[in-house]
Amino acid sequence: MSDALTQEAGKSGEKKALLFDVQRFCLHDGPGIRTILFFKGCALRCAWCHNPESHQARREVAFFAHCCVRCYACREICPKTAVLTGPDRRIDHALCDGCGNCVASCLTRALRMIGETWGAADLLAEVRRDRDFFISSGGGVTLSGGEPMLQAAFLEGFLPSLKADGIHVTLETCGHFPWADMERIAPFLDLIYFDLKQMDSARHESYTTRENGLILDNFRRLAAVFPHLQPRMPVIPGINDDEKNIFATAAFLHECAMDTIHCLPYHRMGEAKLGRIGMGRPGPDPDIPHRPDLKSVIERFAREEIHVVAYD
Amino acid sequence: MLSPTTEITQCSRRINALREAVQGAKPSVCTERAMIWTRYFKSGENRKKSPYIRIAEALTEVLKNKSIRIYPDELIVGNYSSKRVGGAIYPELHGVPVIAEAHTFAKRKTNPLELSGQEWRQLLSIVPFWLPRFLAMKLDTGFVKKLALIADQLTAKFYLINELGGVAHIAPDYQKLIAVGTEGIAAEAEGYQKAAPRGSDAWCFYEGVKIILAGLARFGERYAGLAREMASEEKEPKRKVELETIAEVCQRVPRLGARNFHEALQSLFFAQIAINLESLDNGICPGRIDQYLYPYYRTSLKDPSFSSRQAKELLAAFSIKMAEIIPVFSKPMMRFHGGMFNGQVVTVGGVDESGNDASNELSDLLLEIMDELRMRQPNFHARVHRSSSEAYRHKINRALASGSGSPALYNDEVIIEALCRHGYKMADARNYTAVGCVEPVCQGKSFSSTDAALFNLPIMLELALNEGRRFGSFFRSGRKTKPATRMNSMEDVREAFEAQLNFFIKRLIGDLHLVEKANHKEHPTPLSSALLEGCLKSGRCSTGGGAVYNFSGIQCVGPADTGDALYAIDRAVFRERRMTLPGLVELMRKDIPDEKWLLYFRGLEKFGNDEPEADGWTRYVIAAFDSALGGYTNARGGRYVTGLYSVTAHQYFGKITGALPHGRRRGEAFASGIAPVNGMDRKGPTALLNSVNSIDFTQIANGVNLNLQFDQALLKGEKGASLLDALLKTYFERGGMQVQVNAFDPQILVEARNDPHKYPHLLVRVSGYSAYFNDLAPAMKEEIISRTVIASVR
Repeated sequence: MSDALTQEAGKSGEKKALLFDVQRFCLHDGPGIRTILFFKGCALRCAWCHNPESHQARREVAFFAHCCVRCYACREICPKTAVLTGPDRRIDHALCDGCGNCVASCLTRALRMIGETWGAADLLAEVRRDRDFFISSGGGVTLSGGEPMLQAAFLEGFLPSLKADGIHVTLETCGHFPWADMERIAPFLDLIYFDLKQMDSARHESYTTRENGLILDNFRRLAAVFPHLQPRMPVIPGINDDEKNIFATAAFLHECAMDTIHCLPYHRMGEAKLGRIGMGRPGPDPDIPHRPDLKSVIERFAREEIHVVAYD
Repeated sequence: MLSPTTEITQCSRRINALREAVQGAKPSVCTERAMIWTRYFKSGENRKKSPYIRIAEALTEVLKNKSIRIYPDELIVGNYSSKRVGGAIYPELHGVPVIAEAHTFAKRKTNPLELSGQEWRQLLSIVPFWLPRFLAMKLDTGFVKKLALIADQLTAKFYLINELGGVAHIAPDYQKLIAVGTEGIAAEAEGYQKAAPRGSDAWCFYEGVKIILAGLARFGERYAGLAREMASEEKEPKRKVELETIAEVCQRVPRLGARNFHEALQSLFFAQIAINLESLDNGICPGRIDQYLYPYYRTSLKDPSFSSRQAKELLAAFSIKMAEIIPVFSKPMMRFHGGMFNGQVVTVGGVDESGNDASNELSDLLLEIMDELRMRQPNFHARVHRSSSEAYRHKINRALASGSGSPALYNDEVIIEALCRHGYKMADARNYTAVGCVEPVCQGKSFSSTDAALFNLPIMLELALNEGRRFGSFFRSGRKTKPATRMNSMEDVREAFEAQLNFFIKRLIGDLHLVEKANHKEHPTPLSSALLEGCLKSGRCSTGGGAVYNFSGIQCVGPADTGDALYAIDRAVFRERRMTLPGLVELMRKDIPDEKWLLYFRGLEKFGNDEPEADGWTRYVIAAFDSALGGYTNARGGRYVTGLYSVTAHQYFGKITGALPHGRRRGEAFASGIAPVNGMDRKGPTALLNSVNSIDFTQIANGVNLNLQFDQALLKGEKGASLLDALLKTYFERGGMQVQVNAFDPQILVEARNDPHKYPHLLVRVSGYSAYFNDLAPAMKEEIISRTVIASVR
């Protein structure tokens, strides 16, 4: 866990989670009706990331221009003079320390805090609200983000109570975490969605800022011990849908004795979010065409005897 | 032989033809009832007769003289009106204002009705006779008070009294009629009559019952004659045999008990027509036909020439006949009741009197017919309970997921408990069916005026914040309560709100008592009474409290708006101290001119998001409403009970109510039924259902309406049906009372609005009932489009 997060979340000794959203009635991130916990903080900076507000492991103020009535109550209250007056940007994130005074002063919710700390008891209570729906639909909780594994210390305390409650737990991970953390968490997981983004380590680094060695290592080790591991691939046109990468991915899967991959087509929903938190693109702008050609990806995998489950 | 599960519209040319004929017919006004009724009442001699006899004779005259027709391909016969799809006028009830604007019917945009110039002139000619005689003019009170009440009801700011148009809303004891015929029931009445002194009230009541039962029997015989005549001229041998069968059936029923499935359905439909013509044509419900027709179905199956396929065809033919009956609404009435619908409910499934699952093959056939025909009436309802079979639930969920919009679902456990809690015997509660929109009554035993009145709850808050005045009005309409300057806590606000609420409930009950008594005195219902247990035995008409159960239902419209508004006051004024209460009232008076405050108010938590505090305020206003009604008894000796459905009144009441502090500007529609304020359920259906379930529905004896609107993409295939099953099962297990599901592509609604010809018969769920999208007023169309569509969150 990063220092900033430790500072914010762990003051009282109890481990707290830093989440940027809790979404109920989600149907695509695991079986049945699910509540998704979005953990804030990630080790990767993928160029196509659709949750850019998840990157930093600290609270950030986001600006929703369409709600702003330009009363500038925020400007009066900000101790860091971080409030700007332009049309699209309100917060100078270089100056802002995330104290949240401006958010409290904003009547119209144009300024919102991205990142909320949750104690395990509160989060359990929130999740339990839909427990009956989880049971009747075969659903449960999905840990997503950001990278939930960066908050393993919290999960270690939190997940046993979900288990005790009979709630199914799915983890979505980028795979970049210390193996020791996974050893402690895995007993409480029912399903893991594990992203395999790019098999060429150099290309992986150029698009995500990290090499893939640790990720592939973790995958291999999980595949050997964890029965419900599901590889996933975000299909990014021009970045990982080429024959070479698909061939390498298929070979890797065979090596791990796996024969199915879930493919998620790239979408641009994350772009609107960038401006709100004063960000540019996290990586080099890949100038990605809108729609990946999933059909050819499926065919390429099929030639390698890998079955694809395509999302829409 | 064709399997009964083959789609009826594909396998039966007949059913297809009948459906096309009915869907293709232009809805029209029929003047026959109004003219025959008037002719009868114009005789001074007749007017002197006992009201029971007068109504019985007038209705008998209608049945005797109205034109009769047997349309091509028909198996179940009986034309409600002289038009293929038509409605009648009730000049003695609410017909005078209807006639006054009848010349606009053909040209109006919403629900146009055909009416020739000659027919209109005919109707106009009876207005002078009825003007001093229609129901509102017969209220037992001073002339000024009478006019004041009529004037009040023309704008209906605080409440709308539906009973001024009659009571209706029954599920008659068709089981009895089918079993013993009109002669059997008349014999029973005759027996009781002997014990009553000649000329006494009870004696006259029995006399009226006997007269109209004989009239109903003769109505059937007229069709027997017509069918015989047509058979003798029919060249086509197969149709000739059919017509001969029809003649035989109508010769027997409804006069005598039915011997088979065909006779049972025919007997039922004749009575259905006659009861609709007796008093208000609203909420006359066959109810649990899968239960009481089942023995006849079994009997018919013993005949080797009869199969379930034929049963399905007969049921489909009956179902289409129900769609021929429509109401004639004036424009002011359409504000409250949109969609050419008069609430004829058919209920399937549920438990029997001992609590065991009672769904049967007929329940299945009816669900199939509903899904395959997809017509605006009857209003199909399905009861479910913990022991409902998987197959039954699956059939329902598959239909809903595919966008059928029907059936509405009812939770036996909760409704039965609610009815018992309000005085029903267990066996009777278990034999409930909904009538009208969503209101539970016992089949054959309840004369509950379930749609007695609709009440504008949010306007009580407007009055409470303004010393009993409307914003911008000098006159005080309500109680004088504390000025905002002297309210120091939510306690004070609540006190003022409850004072206004109690004041208007008291006024409403006073008005209702007048109307209830006038209905009994001027317009008793001997035919309905003959088919409601308790009336014959007690010698009292249903309008006089003769039935076993006698609730009056008052609908609480706008609970979520009222609750959210109170919560907003608590937050803005007393907790966050953003403004003073007078400051807030000033903002409301000015219609929240400031974008900043509008966004602030809208951003506050709202009912429907599983947030206990916000939900608590909606619970509070419902409890306050229910307890305001609690102390009163209606003129029939029954309780006033709360309903949480709004038909389309939430639109109208919203239109005339000032701004409210949950961020609703003047004139905006309220939320429908128990739904959250439009677009304010931000956390998806599980949170919404939890919020709704925080309400104790066993308190709500007049039913509730919850609409769930899904993007069809979400519910596609088996996965979608099982998702729906999981949602609804949990909702019901946790205390949900009722739900109806709309599933369609939101784009289709927009296209249907822009080009009405594109989807002429797109069936949507409105509020406890379905209507063709094209039949709805423009504002209601917009509302349906804007209701939060549950789509995938991703």
